[in-house]
Amino acid sequence: MHAPAHAAKPAIDLSKLRYILATDCGSTTTKAILVERVGESWRQTQRAEAPTTVEEPFADVTIGVSNALTEIGELAGRRFIADDGTIIRRKGPDDPDGCDIYISTSSAGGGLQMVVAGVVAQMTAASAKRAALGAGAIVMDTIASNDKRKAHERIGRIRELRPDMVLISGGTDGGNVQQVVQLAEQIAPAKPRPRFGGEYELPVIFAGNKEAAPQVRAIFGAQGGFDLSVVDNLRPTLEQENLGPARDRIHDVFLEHVMAHAPGYDRLISWSDAPIMPTPGAVGDILQRIAERDGLNAVCVDIGGATTDVFSVFGGTFNRTVSANLGMSYSISNVCAEAGMANVLRWVHVAMDERELRNRVKNKMIRPTTIPQSAEALVFEQAVAREALRLAYQQHKEFATTLKGVQQQRTVGDLFSQQESGRTIVDDMALDLLVASGGVLSHAPRMEQTAAMLVDSFEPQGFTQLAKDSIFMMPHLGVLASVHSAAAMEVFERDCLVRLGWCVAAKGEGKWGKPCFRYRVSGAVSASGALACGDVALVRVAGDQEVVVVVEPEKGFDVGAGAGKPLERRVTGGTVGILFDARGRPLVLPEGEADRKAAVARWAQAWGVC
Amino acid sequence: MRIRQAHASALRIASLSAASMCAAIAWAQDAAPAAVDGAVAAEAAKAWFDTGRLGLLLAVAVASACIIAGIVIARLGGSVRIRRIAALEAIDEAVGRATEMGRPVLFVPGIQDMNDIQTVAGITVLGRVAKTAAEYDAQLEVPTARSLVMTAARETVQSAHYAAGRPETYSEGRINYITDEQFGYVAYLSGKMVRDKPAACFYMGAFYAESLVLAENGNAIGAIQVAGTAEPSQLPFFVAACDYTLLGEEFFAASAYLSGERDQLGSIRGQDIGKLLVAASIVVGCAMATYASIALAFGGS
Repeated sequence: MHAPAHAAKPAIDLSKLRYILATDCGSTTTKAILVERVGESWRQTQRAEAPTTVEEPFADVTIGVSNALTEIGELAGRRFIADDGTIIRRKGPDDPDGCDIYISTSSAGGGLQMVVAGVVAQMTAASAKRAALGAGAIVMDTIASNDKRKAHERIGRIRELRPDMVLISGGTDGGNVQQVVQLAEQIAPAKPRPRFGGEYELPVIFAGNKEAAPQVRAIFGAQGGFDLSVVDNLRPTLEQENLGPARDRIHDVFLEHVMAHAPGYDRLISWSDAPIMPTPGAVGDILQRIAERDGLNAVCVDIGGATTDVFSVFGGTFNRTVSANLGMSYSISNVCAEAGMANVLRWVHVAMDERELRNRVKNKMIRPTTIPQSAEALVFEQAVAREALRLAYQQHKEFATTLKGVQQQRTVGDLFSQQESGRTIVDDMALDLLVASGGVLSHAPRMEQTAAMLVDSFEPQGFTQLAKDSIFMMPHLGVLASVHSAAAMEVFERDCLVRLGWCVAAKGEGKWGKPCFRYRVSGAVSASGALACGDVALVRVAGDQEVVVVVEPEKGFDVGAGAGKPLERRVTGGTVGILFDARGRPLVLPEGEADRKAAVARWAQAWGVC
Repeated sequence: MRIRQAHASALRIASLSAASMCAAIAWAQDAAPAAVDGAVAAEAAKAWFDTGRLGLLLAVAVASACIIAGIVIARLGGSVRIRRIAALEAIDEAVGRATEMGRPVLFVPGIQDMNDIQTVAGITVLGRVAKTAAEYDAQLEVPTARSLVMTAARETVQSAHYAAGRPETYSEGRINYITDEQFGYVAYLSGKMVRDKPAACFYMGAFYAESLVLAENGNAIGAIQVAGTAEPSQLPFFVAACDYTLLGEEFFAASAYLSGERDQLGSIRGQDIGKLLVAASIVVGCAMATYASIALAFGGS
C-alpha cells in the first residue's frame, strides 16, 4: 500500500495566507485564478488560461500550468514562476513575488475513467456508481450479476475499455459471497492494459461484503498486476449506504496511480499543497459545502462540448451524473438524435430551414470550437442546449433515487397508495438554487438568455434562485475548500456566483388563457400583475435590492404553499430580476407551429431574451 | 394459447346465446295458445328460453363485447396502458435483496388446491419470481400445502429457469409438498422462516387465518414481503404487515401485467370497461327503483 503523495506536506498556517494560486487542468485549457486577501476579505483578483500540454509534443502538464501562472503573474504584477519553471513561494510578508500555496484540479486526458461492479445492478452496483461519480470519475461501464451478459462478454468489455481504476462492491456484510467472488474472477483475467505508464498496476478498490475480502484478495494476488485496496462496504446493510470510505480511497488512488503515471503529473503533485482533485469531484465538493452551510437544496449543471454533468444536493444527499453523450459540440448530433429535431425546433421562434440546421449540426461536430456567428445560429444553439439540459436533468432524476431493496413499514392507510422504493429524491418544488456553468450558459450574450434556458429545461417550481458560475471557478474553489473553507466560501459568494434572479413558477396544468396566479412585488421595487396560463412576466430587481413577493395562485396551482394557497417570500434580485412563469408544470408547448412560434416569441419578448 | 382459446369460446357463447334468443322468441310467437270455443285449453309450452334472465344475457353479451373490443383495439395498436402496480414492480427488488443478502426467497402459493382460481393466479406470479431468481442466481424455495400445487409449481419454476437461460440452476428439491393441514403447514413455514431467515417472502394465493401469522413472522425477520390474495377479510393483515400487497383484482391482472402481451392487456381493459358499465347500470337501477318507490309512496296509486 502506497502512502498518499500529499502526506509529507507540512501543515498550512491559514492566518499567514495571502496569495493562493489555483489551476484547473482541463483537456484543452488550463485555467488559473489568483485568490488574494484584500483587507479582511478574500477575493478572486486575476484569471488567466493557457493550452493544456498533457499531450505530445509537450507531454508535460506543468508546461501549461507554468504558462497560465506566468500570465496571471503579469496581470497581478507579481512573479509566480521562477526561471527554472517552478512556482515561487513567498518567503515573508513583504516578499514582492510568489504565492503562499498552490492547489489544482485535473480532468486532463479524459479525467478519471472507471469501471464499477456489483452484485445487483439496482443495489450494490448502483451504490458503486454513485461513489465513483461522486468522486469525480467517469463511469465507463457497470458490471453486475444481473446485467444479462455472459462472463466472457464482461471480460472482453473490461479489456476493451481500459479503465484507470475498478471499484468492486457487492453483498451486504455477512451476505452474498459467491457472486462477489465471481465478479473478482471475471475482472482479474481481463487484466486491462493501462492508458498511462507501462509498469502501471491497475488499481482495484474492493468495497463489498467484508467476508468475501480474503477470497477477493487471493484472486487478485494470484493473478498479479493489480493494486488491490479493501475499504468498508458501500452497503453494509441494504438500508444503509456508506460511500465515504470508497470515495476517499478513489481520490487517493487517483493521485497515487492515475495522476502519478500521467505526463508531468509527478511534478504537479510535488508543487501542489493539497491533493489534486478530479475537476467534477471538486465542483461537487463546493456545492455540498454551500448547500450544507445555507441549508439549501441545490442543483448545478455544467454543460460541455462532449458531456453534461449534473450535481445535486437534496436533503443533504449529494448526487452527480455525467451524461456522456449530451454536449454542445462533439455530442451535438447525439442531442439532436436523442431529443428529436422536432423537440429542438420547438424552442425556435424564427423561420429556419431544417436541412440547413442539420448542416449546422454536422459543422459544429467537425469544428467543435466554433461559436455562433449570427442571431439565428445563436437561437438554434440555445434550443439545442435546452434539450441537452432537459435530457441530462431527466437522467439525473432517474439516477438520484432512494435506496432500493429496503424493507418498507406500512399501515392499513397505505392500502391504495403503496409507494415503491427507488423514487427520485429530486424535488423541483424544493429546489432553492440552480447554478449554471459551461460555455453556452456562461457565455450567452445576455443574462436573460441564460435564465430562460435554465427555466425552460429544468422547469423549476415555486421560488427558485438562478445563478451562474462567472468564469467556471467552482473546481478551483472546491479544492480550495479542502485547504481554507472560509476563503472558498467567501470567494464563492462574492466572485464566483453571478446571481441572475429568481424564477417563480406555478405547478399545475390549465387551459391557456385561464387565470393562473396574481403577483405583487413591494419594497425596493413595486410591481403587480395577474398572469393567465401560458403567460410569463419579468420584474427587474437588481442584485442589491430586496423585495417582498406575494403570489396568489388560482385553485389547482401551487407555488410552494399548497394548491391555491398564497405564498410570501422576501428575496434579493439579480442581474435579470424575477421571472414569473405561468406556463404550468409540466411545461407543454402549443401543438400548432404558428401558435408555438408565437408563444415562444412572446416569452422571449417578455423575458428580454431578444 | 389457453387464453386465446378462452376468448374464442367466449365469443362463440355470446353468438350462440344471441342466436338461441332469437329462435326462442320466434318459437314462442308460433306456439301462442289457440282459443277454443267457450274454454281455454291448458297447454304446455316448450320453455327453451327463460325470458326472466334476459338481463343476465344482456350483461354477458355486453361484457363479452367489451372484452372482444378491448382485444381487437389492442391488436390494432390502440393504447393498452395499465397503471403501475407497485407490488409487481417490487418483484425484482425483493429478489435482488435476497441475492445481495445471500439468503433464500420464499414463495407460498396459498393453502388451496389448483381448482381455486387464486392458486392459479399465484402460480402465474411464481413464474415471474422464478425467472427473476434464476437471472439473479438466487435460491427460491416453494413449500406447498397441496401435492398438485407442488407439481404445477415445479413445472412453472423449471420453465422459468429454461426461459432465463439457466436450466442448470433448477433444483426440484426446493419445491416440496408439506401437508394439507392448514396449521401444520403454517407451523412448518413459521419454523422455516425463523431458521432460514429468507430475505424475500411472497404470499400469493388463497389465505385465511394464517395470513397474519406468516406476514408477522416475515416482518420480524426483516424480509421484504409481497402478498396477493382475493380474500377481502385477509387483505388488511397483509397490507399492514407486508411491504407490497396485490389487492383482489390486481392479483388476477398480474398475468397480463407481467407478460405485457397485448391480447391479455386488451382483455383486462375490456373487463374493466364491462365492470364499469355493470356498476353504472346498478347505480342507474338503484336510482330508478328509488324514484319508483318514492313516486308510489307519494303518488297514492
